[in-house]
Amino acid sequence: MVVALRAASVIAFVLLWEWAARVPISFNFPSPWATLTALVALLRSGAILSATATSLQSLALGFGIAIAVGVPLGLVMGVVRPVGRVARVYLDLLIALPTAALIPLVILSFGINILSSAVIVFVFSVPFVTMNAYGGVRDVRPRLLEMAHAFDASRWQVFVRIVLPSALPMILAGIRYALSRAFVGLIVAELLLSPFGLGRLIMASRSMFEHDRMFATVLWTLLLAGVALAALARLEGRLLRWRT
Amino acid sequence: MAPRPVEIVVDGVSKAFGTVQALVDVHVRVRAGEFLSLIGPSGCGKTTLLKTIAGLVAPDSGRVVVGGRTVEGPGRECSVVFQDFALLPWATVQKNAEFGLLLRGVPAAARAERARGMIAKVGLAGFEHAYPAQLSGGMQQRVGLARALAVNPQVLLMDEPFASIDEQTRRVFQDDLLQLWSEERKTVVLVTHSMEEAIYLSDRVVVLSPRPGRVHQVLEVPLPRPREGAGVRATAEFARLVDDLWKVLRKLQ
Repeated sequence: MVVALRAASVIAFVLLWEWAARVPISFNFPSPWATLTALVALLRSGAILSATATSLQSLALGFGIAIAVGVPLGLVMGVVRPVGRVARVYLDLLIALPTAALIPLVILSFGINILSSAVIVFVFSVPFVTMNAYGGVRDVRPRLLEMAHAFDASRWQVFVRIVLPSALPMILAGIRYALSRAFVGLIVAELLLSPFGLGRLIMASRSMFEHDRMFATVLWTLLLAGVALAALARLEGRLLRWRT
Repeated sequence: MAPRPVEIVVDGVSKAFGTVQALVDVHVRVRAGEFLSLIGPSGCGKTTLLKTIAGLVAPDSGRVVVGGRTVEGPGRECSVVFQDFALLPWATVQKNAEFGLLLRGVPAAARAERARGMIAKVGLAGFEHAYPAQLSGGMQQRVGLARALAVNPQVLLMDEPFASIDEQTRRVFQDDLLQLWSEERKTVVLVTHSMEEAIYLSDRVVVLSPRPGRVHQVLEVPLPRPREGAGVRATAEFARLVDDLWKVLRKLQ
């Protein structure tokens, strides 16, 4: 049922796209077929693969640090309430921040390189990782804490045996959401600042009016994000098997 | 194996939450090995009293002595069974039953063996690898009981353990609990709002009055044991005792 629906939705999307390409609403709007052809060409030439490798480096660096910083920070915020109350104001502001506007500042600080886009990826994704870890800790069922106390558990035991597993589903959901934010951040960074990776390929194609190549690169980025998200969802399903 | 049951002395315990006086000068003596129930209208502080014995709530004045030791926090003498089971949803039946032993640093092999034995005793053999969400309420509470008993406490404190379980399941479970109690000989304190349950299970029933909570009356239950499976519920004596209890509680409403 789900599989059939999925297939139908993909077909409907491609048909809609094909129709949009035939209607003269825009200059040189590439059809699905033209886009696919361009994508194959980009893959053959290897251009898109080297761009992908560069982009994934920024992504892995920025997103990895976002998890390494965000999860512990959120946990501390949840466990030490005063820290949580202070820090969440900054997180709320960070989420509302027009991050793209910060990019010149990032270039000034870090230079035009992979590190800069990693910083943007980090800024895009870290608030969501942190917020969910924080929320996960605050959602722990008080009864489970009471039960552990009744067994005279130490603070460390309560944290490791009750708080952490209770917060895990929300932490993982936060990581998954933050990953899609990280992809957005990556492309924004590469479009606006650094002549690297997939963003540069998109910019270059656009400036040459090679819209099929531009579309192909966007499609490829979406595919990458989709695969990464699906992999995370699988991992989540595995770690949270008890929820079925 | 089974430790000697101990006496519990609640000695002039008072407790207020803000302006609400939950307990005032409560005196209760639970004999070693006795099955005692606390009953009373809602708001009479019966759960607060149970948590005070468990060391989860500190009294404002007075003290609780369990087996000669004044309670100053949760101790090894007592295990608690909760109304909503308080199971770890991410852990299997086996791991849940092991939880108290894990917190007390019992080595893995001994832990697994002891928990498996207890799971069998509460009638859940074969369900070791199930998760709580896959079990009925009655079965989940059996896991809660196995977890409480696995650490081999001298006192079992039960906070409305059958309240969220349907009637048929509850009756079978009550009989199983009596059977287990006769084998393990713990001192049991049970909080309940069911008069039939209090009479059927207990040696004595303590009636608490509400706002502020204090001991109103103590009823003896002279029904012979073993009661399980003996058709005690159908006897005139049982009906009379429930009615006596009802007459006491009615005046407190």
